[in-house]
Amino acid sequence: MTIFLEACLGALMLCGKLVLIVVPLVVVFEVLRYAKVFRTLGSRTEPVMRGLGLGRSAVLPLFTGIFLGIAYGAGIIIRSAAAGQMSRRELFLTGLFLATCHAVIEDVLIFVVLGGDAVMMLGLRLTLAILLTALLARLWKPGDGSIKTEV
Amino acid sequence: MSTTLKSEQYMEITGEEQIPPIMQRVRCGVVEGFSTVFKMIKFVLPLYIVVDMCKAYGLIDSLGTWCEPFMSLFGLPGATAFAFIAGALVNLYAAIAVLAPLDLTPWQVTQCGVMMGIAHNLVLEGGVLSSTGARGGVLTLFRILLAAIAGWLMLGMQVLGVAG
Repeated sequence: MTIFLEACLGALMLCGKLVLIVVPLVVVFEVLRYAKVFRTLGSRTEPVMRGLGLGRSAVLPLFTGIFLGIAYGAGIIIRSAAAGQMSRRELFLTGLFLATCHAVIEDVLIFVVLGGDAVMMLGLRLTLAILLTALLARLWKPGDGSIKTEV
Repeated sequence: MSTTLKSEQYMEITGEEQIPPIMQRVRCGVVEGFSTVFKMIKFVLPLYIVVDMCKAYGLIDSLGTWCEPFMSLFGLPGATAFAFIAGALVNLYAAIAVLAPLDLTPWQVTQCGVMMGIAHNLVLEGGVLSSTGARGGVLTLFRILLAAIAGWLMLGMQVLGVAG
């Protein structure tokens, strides 16, 4: 019985930590997301996006995915894709980036609760995502539809 | 998340976003924050209790030794294999509920964070990726492979003394 009670106590403490870390950060995110820097993100990031082989139509799905995650951002990602503004190449490159690096705020927070290093987790995933997407964008030129399965 | 989606839709239609007053944003953040934590707790609370009890009865240790040879490729204890399975099939909340009772070092937590951050919730997210028209299956295989590569990379960093 003491084993069960100790397990419950540990679980409650973990839940308490989750509340203490997640709630304040979500509040900060909600307050900041209307700031000018965030709203002009599309035009500011255009050079970087071009380096990744992506056009402006990919900005909204990409950033939604990075911050909210594939599951929550699905609505926007699917809608942008269905609107037909993105080529198959852009779709795959966006998918590749997001497969490596998405829902970064939530994911990193979860492991910070257990004592992980946030900068290291965020940095490594972003670096890997950017490197791989840029590499594939160079291998798979626009208009050449054949390379994707060889990756 | 519904409030977020709404404002994004609004932005798409009008090209500019309505900015709610600051107090409303704070309130929205508190509500979103608690609903996120609630979603986590549904997985975390029961799983933590089960895993912690299994650990107290020595079950985790004996099953963990089975997975030891594989997980030690990444410098992780065998018991973390359960967290990877939970994370891949369910989600990261399930994964940390399994990890929390295991007494890992901060570097091992970071390593798990990167690896699971890349490859988690594979079934659901693979479906979402496919539904956008990208190749969901290829991308899912790629995520598993990349998680392994990232794990080796981080083990290398630790061995070389660059980090950890």
